[in-house]
Amino acid sequence: MSAKPKRRKERRRLTAGEAVVMAVLAVLVLAVSFPVVYALLNSFRSYAEITKDPMGLPTGLSLDNYARLFQTTDYGEALLNTVIITGGTLVLLMALVPMAAYGIERLGGRSSRWIYLLFIAGLMIPFQVRMIPLVSSMNQIGLYSTLTSVILVHLGGAASFGILLYCSFIKGVPREVEEAAEMDGAGKLRTFWSIVFPMLLPVTSAFVIIQALSLWNDFFIPLVFLDSSSAGTVNVALSRMVGLLTSQWELIYTGAILAIIPSVALFAAFQRYFIKGMSIGAVKG
Amino acid sequence: MTTETAVPETRTPLRPAAPRGRARSRRQRAVMLLFIAPALVVYVLMVIAPSLQSVQLSLTNWDGINPAYDYVGLRNYQDILTSDRFWNATTNTLILGLGSAAIINVIALAVALMLDRLHRAQGFFRTIVYLPALVSGFIAATIWKYMLNFNFGAVNTVLRDLGFEGAAMDWLGDNDIVVGVLLFIICFTLGGNTTLIYLANLQSVPQELVEAAKIDGASGRQVFRYVTWPMLAGAVTVNMTLAMIAGWTIFDQVMVLTAGGPGFISETMAFFIYKVGFGEYRAGYGSAAAIVLFAVVMATTVLANRYMRSREVQG
Repeated sequence: MSAKPKRRKERRRLTAGEAVVMAVLAVLVLAVSFPVVYALLNSFRSYAEITKDPMGLPTGLSLDNYARLFQTTDYGEALLNTVIITGGTLVLLMALVPMAAYGIERLGGRSSRWIYLLFIAGLMIPFQVRMIPLVSSMNQIGLYSTLTSVILVHLGGAASFGILLYCSFIKGVPREVEEAAEMDGAGKLRTFWSIVFPMLLPVTSAFVIIQALSLWNDFFIPLVFLDSSSAGTVNVALSRMVGLLTSQWELIYTGAILAIIPSVALFAAFQRYFIKGMSIGAVKG
Repeated sequence: MTTETAVPETRTPLRPAAPRGRARSRRQRAVMLLFIAPALVVYVLMVIAPSLQSVQLSLTNWDGINPAYDYVGLRNYQDILTSDRFWNATTNTLILGLGSAAIINVIALAVALMLDRLHRAQGFFRTIVYLPALVSGFIAATIWKYMLNFNFGAVNTVLRDLGFEGAAMDWLGDNDIVVGVLLFIICFTLGGNTTLIYLANLQSVPQELVEAAKIDGASGRQVFRYVTWPMLAGAVTVNMTLAMIAGWTIFDQVMVLTAGGPGFISETMAFFIYKVGFGEYRAGYGSAAAIVLFAVVMATTVLANRYMRSREVQG
């Protein structure tokens, strides 16, 4: 009983500390978001307005720039390309990586260990190391400057991280369930897709979301593999606009905002899985 | 990503296939190899084979277009290691890569510590703190490029309006400050994933340990130094290793903001390889630089892990 007032006092002091923390965090977020907010505001202004008063506010929510971006540049096509590359890579990753990780874990023995290490070694190979030979090979087989080449290069790059993530998860999946299914007469392939794959959902959701964001945001790989015969991805298209349309700032700001929206939408939709995914295995047990 | 990344050696030995007849087990192994094959083929063709080919090309004078080339031994490596331009790119990579790794980790840890103190609305603040990380380095750099414009950029406008006419600078065109400006833009973040990893680890610090230290009269700072910090050693290893690997290959911001300029002043190793290999038609020379970059990345990863793991054991 006598401890009660003290405890209440402690709680109040905590709240004051929390309020300060909240205020500091809010200020930090606002400061770091400033460039994006600035681009958003200027996407509603004309070039004349922007250069006359760089810090001015928009006078209305005019969507002129958004319409003009799609009419006068091939940003629309670039947007479609980015969707195809991101979606295509994700589908192929799902078809290949979980099955391979399962194979590695269930194969056992020395060969399994070597295959695992070969995949993991990829985490230490920067893209620049494989870039020059890949461009010339893609040229030779006629895939250079196609979306297929970008998807293939992305697949190789993402495989290592995928194998790492799936292998560490599959270790914890009991064999008994699979063995029971096999006795029922289901083949290995069917057992995998109907019994094992659904059990991997937590790691699948994390992997897909992390990859989706990094594929959408990637700039270097499409820059290298898509030349001017392709509209490029949104980032490549934007970088070309920076080079060519130096006097159309309002379109650059508009394009930048449009490139961010899908990332934010993805995050908003899958936030729960995303934060869980980043924490999977990040905590040392 | 897990802490296992760099120590695949500690993987527990795999249980051999269930002993239910040798034929059956052999069949099981064959099926598992078929499961692995498609991913392995793509990975070998897209990562391992071109990497090995880079080693071969680094010994040639190939221009990247002409099918004919000659082997020149180690001359490319010799040229690179005696090139001022390459050493300048290496210095910049050190400043930008290691500098940003250290700064971003400090910011992320500070933000995670603040989030960890919140008992109410922690989820909401965790979300808004993560939001800036959704903007890619490329997009952020593109916006900054215009905000830093000398005549009509937001930064110089604000400085002039406040009366600091002299402080308005050609941020991306001035040899003396351009690398510093790049570092600032790269570090203009709240950490994103790094913060989430620190926060997850902070929340796994046993509360009893913190309480016990407080009862023993430890101050807030002492609790952090002797209880929380050692418990975070694993997270620091992971985050610093990841940040350094990313740092060694910084490219997007340089490409967008300065294209390596003025002159070659702000080039990084990744940008140097791109420029030399594709822009200057010296694919052999560029490959040699790429192999040097690979050696550096591998050395950093191995050394960083060894050092930080030795620290972890003591902690």
